[in-house]
Amino acid sequence: MPETHNNDDEVVDYFLQLLSKNEDMSSGIAAIKTLLMVLETSQFHTIHILQKTMLDAVEAMKNRSHLSIAAIASGGELFCRFITLSIGDKPIEECQRIMLDRGNAFLKKLLDSRKCITKLAEKFLKDGCKVLTHSRSRVVLQTMIHAAENNKHFHVYVTEGGKSDDKSGKKMCEELEKAGIECTLILDSAVGYVMESVDFVMVGAEAVVESGGIINRIGSFTTAICAKDMKKPFYVLSESFKFTRLYPLNQRDLSDEYKYPGKDSGKDVSKIHPSVDYTPPAYITLLFTDLGILTPSAVSDELIKLYM
Amino acid sequence: MTTAKPIAEIASLIHSIKIGLEGSYSISSRTLELFKKIIANKSWKNAQELMQLVQEQGRILSSALPQEVVTSNMVRRILKIIREAFDLLREKNKEYQFDDGHTTLSLHKLITQTSETSKDVDYSKHHDGLRDVLLDHLQEIEIELETSSENISAQAEEHIHSSEVILTLGHSKSVENFLKRAIEKRKFLTIIIAECAPECRGHDLAASLASASCEIVIIPDSSIFAMMSRVNKVIIGTHSVLANGGLRAACGSYTVAAAAKHFSVPTIVLAPMYKLSPVHLCSYEQDAFNILGSAEGVLPYDSLAAKSAKVYSPIFDYVPPEFVTLFISNMGGHAPSYVYRLLSELYHPEDIEM
Repeated sequence: MPETHNNDDEVVDYFLQLLSKNEDMSSGIAAIKTLLMVLETSQFHTIHILQKTMLDAVEAMKNRSHLSIAAIASGGELFCRFITLSIGDKPIEECQRIMLDRGNAFLKKLLDSRKCITKLAEKFLKDGCKVLTHSRSRVVLQTMIHAAENNKHFHVYVTEGGKSDDKSGKKMCEELEKAGIECTLILDSAVGYVMESVDFVMVGAEAVVESGGIINRIGSFTTAICAKDMKKPFYVLSESFKFTRLYPLNQRDLSDEYKYPGKDSGKDVSKIHPSVDYTPPAYITLLFTDLGILTPSAVSDELIKLYM
Repeated sequence: MTTAKPIAEIASLIHSIKIGLEGSYSISSRTLELFKKIIANKSWKNAQELMQLVQEQGRILSSALPQEVVTSNMVRRILKIIREAFDLLREKNKEYQFDDGHTTLSLHKLITQTSETSKDVDYSKHHDGLRDVLLDHLQEIEIELETSSENISAQAEEHIHSSEVILTLGHSKSVENFLKRAIEKRKFLTIIIAECAPECRGHDLAASLASASCEIVIIPDSSIFAMMSRVNKVIIGTHSVLANGGLRAACGSYTVAAAAKHFSVPTIVLAPMYKLSPVHLCSYEQDAFNILGSAEGVLPYDSLAAKSAKVYSPIFDYVPPEFVTLFISNMGGHAPSYVYRLLSELYHPEDIEM
């Protein structure tokens, strides 16, 4: 049996603590930080055990958190993939050290990624434009705040964001107002109504899948369909660690653990509302990532390069 | 922002474009010529100095001629060549293991590359022979430029068949050569040319294509939709191709493309590689994108209506990528969704923002 003194509870506690301490942190980053902690504090005898421990930790975070798991899954998978990449024939202690170094370097780059996206996307926010965004996304928020700091004036419509319990849209609105940005909170059902008056839609994503489509807060797909029909550009802002190896073709293809995370998992889902939906690439105009501005078809290229 | 002064050659290029040097090919070959001279004759000690010089002059060019994106494209191309030549020399001197993914940002690199990112490359090191290598590479680009039109028109046979009806708009040099080749090889072609008022360059194209073996029809721009139902293919040129695969093309192209879409007629765009530009259209507002030409052709200045009416004559149209079926470049045919890939091969990500 692998000797690890991190049991799942500890891992999950650490993970949740990270998230609650730092509002701004994305769950993917928190997952990677947690994995780094596991890597640092555990003892391993073989690479195999190390890998298993990591995967177990990812599993634990997925199962126990109340958050949507898409970012945890992609961040975790990317991290596991990356630290074990071409280690070579070295003693296990050295391997662990190399992995730890790599992990920290990786994390450092990821922390910069939001800044990168902000810089790219900011140019699309023109003076006097009207933007629709769905629910709350940290990277969208940061981009808008940054644009406002550079003296751009624009109006943001924010949807309430599906689930009534977390008031994410309201929170987004308050934060935007605090930064001096004009905004209007609208009902999710008013998306069609406001679409004619906005210039474009800008949303975040929980995960970007291989086809170039996104998994995001429920209601994103509705917004995308409306935008497409009214010929408004639909922009997605997403860090590249959210690229996931999934290829859903429709909503049913998304596994239940994505749609019903946390407390809902394992229950009879026929009466529960899903928390995310899948937006196919045909509805997305551009994706802003730390790798540059990508068209949806460029995403699969990136993933193929990585998992070749 | 820039304090650098334009060197004399750059200033004279800007001047000659402003007073009427036309055609993307001549502008880009002039630009290349000029930078070749700079690289060969100016004194620079290392790649960094040279890159700085090229960047400064490139910035001057692009701010003086914001509509002529081919000049900026050429500058980006040259910068990439300097980077590559430098890396190659470094590799030769065994200082650094050259890896293939070096020049592009990728997720793979993001996670495998831990110490040396491309930003850390020190270009200030001196290398013997850099100048010669660079001039060799520039020679290659020059040849590519010279042959690009020929390479495009060589593909005419693949796309145009006998007894087809082709519609085009205005007067593009690439389209002219392409159609000439098609007329040589195919019989019973009908070529419909929308005249592209108010400059009516379509007339010039008609005059140059006129031959006994094909039928040329000139139509006013207003009848594009009416004619489209009998057209087999639309073939147009473009001023430049944007990063998402959209076009900035002569005014009227959107009309043609939209009509073609309506009748499911394939729209083929001839665009040599030097027209691919890594910029995105940030907003659909025209003032950031379009320029206005002389309105005299629309409404004479001394006409009665000119007293009471505003007259505009925009030069460009933005055509979204979904209206384009195929791009034909000197490298072959590409779908609009593939443009990003060509761009990542053509330019270095750090040079996109000049």
